[in-house]
Amino acid sequence: MKEKENYYAYWLYSLPGIGVKTIDRLLRICQSPSEIYAASDELLKRVLGEKQLISLREAKSVWRLQEEYEELKKRKLGFVWRGSGEYPERLYHIPDAPFALFYRGRLPENHSPSVAIVGARDCSRYGSYVAQELGRYLGEQGVSVISGMARGIDGISQEAALKAGGISYGVLGCGADICYPPSNRRLYEELIEKGGVLSVYLPGTPPLSRNFPPRNRIVSGLADAVVVIEARSRSGTLITVDMALEQGKEVYVVPGRVTDRLSDGCNRLLKQGAGVFLSPQDFVEELRELKERQKGNKNPDVGKCGKPVVTKEQENQIRKGKHLLSEELQSVYMLLNFEPQSIEEISSLLPKPLSASEVSVILMRLCMEGYAVQVSPGCFCTGNRDSS
Amino acid sequence: MYSTIISGAFMGIHAFLVSVEVDISPGLPTFQMVGSLSCEVRESKERVWAALKNAGLDIPPTHITVNLSPADLKKEGTALDLPIAVAMLEALEYFPAAATKNVLFLGELSLNGEIKRVRGVLPIVGEAAKQGLKECVVPLENAAEGAAISGIAVRGVRNIGELLQFLCVAPADRKKLLPAHRISTEKLFGRRAAWEGNDFAQVSGQESAKRAALIAAAGFHNLLLVGPPGTGKSMIARRIPGIMPPLTLEESLEVTCVASVAGTLKEEQPLVTARPFQSPHHTISQAALTGGGSVPRPGVISLAHRGVLFLDELPEFQRNVLDSMRQPLEEHIVSVARANANVSYPADFMLVCAMNPCPCGYYPDRNQCRCTQMQVKRYMSKVSGPILDRIDLCVELHAVDILSLQSSSPQDSSEKLQGRVETAREIQKRRFVGTKYRFNGDIEGGEVERYCVLGKKEQKCMEELYASLKLSARAYHRILKVARTIADLAGEDVINTGHLLEAACYRPVREYWI
Repeated sequence: MKEKENYYAYWLYSLPGIGVKTIDRLLRICQSPSEIYAASDELLKRVLGEKQLISLREAKSVWRLQEEYEELKKRKLGFVWRGSGEYPERLYHIPDAPFALFYRGRLPENHSPSVAIVGARDCSRYGSYVAQELGRYLGEQGVSVISGMARGIDGISQEAALKAGGISYGVLGCGADICYPPSNRRLYEELIEKGGVLSVYLPGTPPLSRNFPPRNRIVSGLADAVVVIEARSRSGTLITVDMALEQGKEVYVVPGRVTDRLSDGCNRLLKQGAGVFLSPQDFVEELRELKERQKGNKNPDVGKCGKPVVTKEQENQIRKGKHLLSEELQSVYMLLNFEPQSIEEISSLLPKPLSASEVSVILMRLCMEGYAVQVSPGCFCTGNRDSS
Repeated sequence: MYSTIISGAFMGIHAFLVSVEVDISPGLPTFQMVGSLSCEVRESKERVWAALKNAGLDIPPTHITVNLSPADLKKEGTALDLPIAVAMLEALEYFPAAATKNVLFLGELSLNGEIKRVRGVLPIVGEAAKQGLKECVVPLENAAEGAAISGIAVRGVRNIGELLQFLCVAPADRKKLLPAHRISTEKLFGRRAAWEGNDFAQVSGQESAKRAALIAAAGFHNLLLVGPPGTGKSMIARRIPGIMPPLTLEESLEVTCVASVAGTLKEEQPLVTARPFQSPHHTISQAALTGGGSVPRPGVISLAHRGVLFLDELPEFQRNVLDSMRQPLEEHIVSVARANANVSYPADFMLVCAMNPCPCGYYPDRNQCRCTQMQVKRYMSKVSGPILDRIDLCVELHAVDILSLQSSSPQDSSEKLQGRVETAREIQKRRFVGTKYRFNGDIEGGEVERYCVLGKKEQKCMEELYASLKLSARAYHRILKVARTIADLAGEDVINTGHLLEAACYRPVREYWI
């Protein structure tokens, strides 16, 4: 019976020219999709216009309920709708909840903690570093990461979470059977294997730019909190934040430098009172408290200070570096950060003046040891923790 | 009445002697020319006719046949006007046949009888000297160019009248009438200072780019400059020829030959003594770059022979145009194959390229650049891998802040840099005695290890670099070659780890921007 109802729901959802709002109105006069299927024209006319009615009738004549649904299954696509039991509970509570979802892999569990990570596609090294650290920590802590599988922050954080053995879900702006951007093919496959890829769009829907903002409400809707890493002042990420606030989700923001245009949106959100992201550990702790509070439990301990984003291991590395590196290497290493710096810049900041060629030799030595990364022919950053 | 005159023509930059035969016999008045002629040569009939008439010489209405032998080689250019006229005059017995024996003639005629400059004098005179000729007559404007060849007397003439007088006098008086042209190569090479007006001291900041330019000039390595607009990429490129070792006479002759054939030689500069610098616009066609045309002419890469070919805005060049440089970059020669000719031009040039890192030019400065990763990637990928593979050094330039622009700290002058390059050049000269190589940049893949010997410590360093930078075998060899040059610049026999690391810093890697 349940399964049958799905056939009708799929049919209803894939009707051309009939959107979620119309479906909602139809469901008000008929109880279920199957009843809509069986409903008389007079009844439907109360909701549908002339054209919609024609399209519904046409669809009815060509649509083979079971075959179409089986076809979906054959393509390894799952289908849930509001009436089916598997529909993610969190989405019931958001305004403008989607009528149905297509997915590959699994659907998010209803009660396990989850965090949405959103941010710039063309992120800086700073952004990608924070995304990586956060994704990894959340993965380790068993918090699922919800994001849009886009280039930049989205993909980086999801990849890190999966790599750390965690779970992640990608919400796409195209059909769930399409991998967009194609460069994230590996991530897409991995998500299907370890988590899930979901979409409100019909399978085969190409990645249209107008489809991307609406999917953001699903990203925030599936999460307990949203973390924003790098957003320009007029970034699409801010749409997600608006939706998250509308849905009553907590929004945390990674602060950026005030001179950094890529963090303008972030810093503005902070000014407006968004939560401050200090470190993955700190954030997860706050998240836990939040959950407790939501459950109605009183929060016992207050007043703990945030830990810096530099992890223990990193501190160790710095200490180790201090120990191992010669004075010259040390002095150059201390100048490196996440901003790409040119050789000339570095040499001008050095206490003891060195020529460009001497500095480049030192930098290459640091690169070799993993303390630095050559991001472009003339620019260097601090090294990745992973590579050391 | 029959006469024959020696002249010359060229194919590619290789000259060959042509004998111009004229037969004048009574009969229906005609003027026929045979012997595989291009249309310029065919037209010379009208010029010769009018020039002789206007010079006051009488050509009787007779049956004239002109043959240019070897008749199976295509002759082009206007240099055969004068020898045809001389042969006709000789056949008409204006002067004794002995007067033109073993004398080579070259020149274009104007309708009033004046003799004008032609292309390719240097290679033709060179060939004549090689064949044992002792005398040649060329347009006065080309006399200095021809005089660069020793062992042959080059006389410049202004017009037919002057020439006729010269041919009529007794052999003993000839020298007085038209003395052989002489140039002093010492004097030509003496007024050097190629960096004049283009001194490296004018470039403030950009230490690493200048350093890379120095290394490139010392080892004849190809160089890529990447940076936002207005950071001095072309400024640096323009100054590179000035710090390269000066041209030797032998090199100068090669360069002048190409210029002579291409017709770019200036009258006041009979020998090219400065390193060529060619910077074609990015809309250049493939034929213009590599040479070609239905009548092959040397392209820009041949004009840059022994000098610098500067390609600004590298990604804007058409891909097929860039790809056509692949073979010349490897072999230092460009072959132009056409239906009627197969010629080759020398093309041993140093490639200096400049490009922006992204369409807007400011990547990776995210405050200014809003190009997406895809755009950056697409922009980068316009430069084909094989071309990037042939670049040894890559360096990034950054916007110079006002402080370093204003600071008056003395910058190394081109003169000083050239001195360092010459020292390194001497070391390389000794190293490559008896081989085909001239510079470290020429060393071919298989032989790199022979010339760039590493100690134990250095080998370990290279191994670590290989692993940590994920080098390819080609990149590995490039680093070795560049390190060799860096060591040469430092005057050291052995490559040390510092040299290797610095060389590794300049390696061009596609993934940088991706």
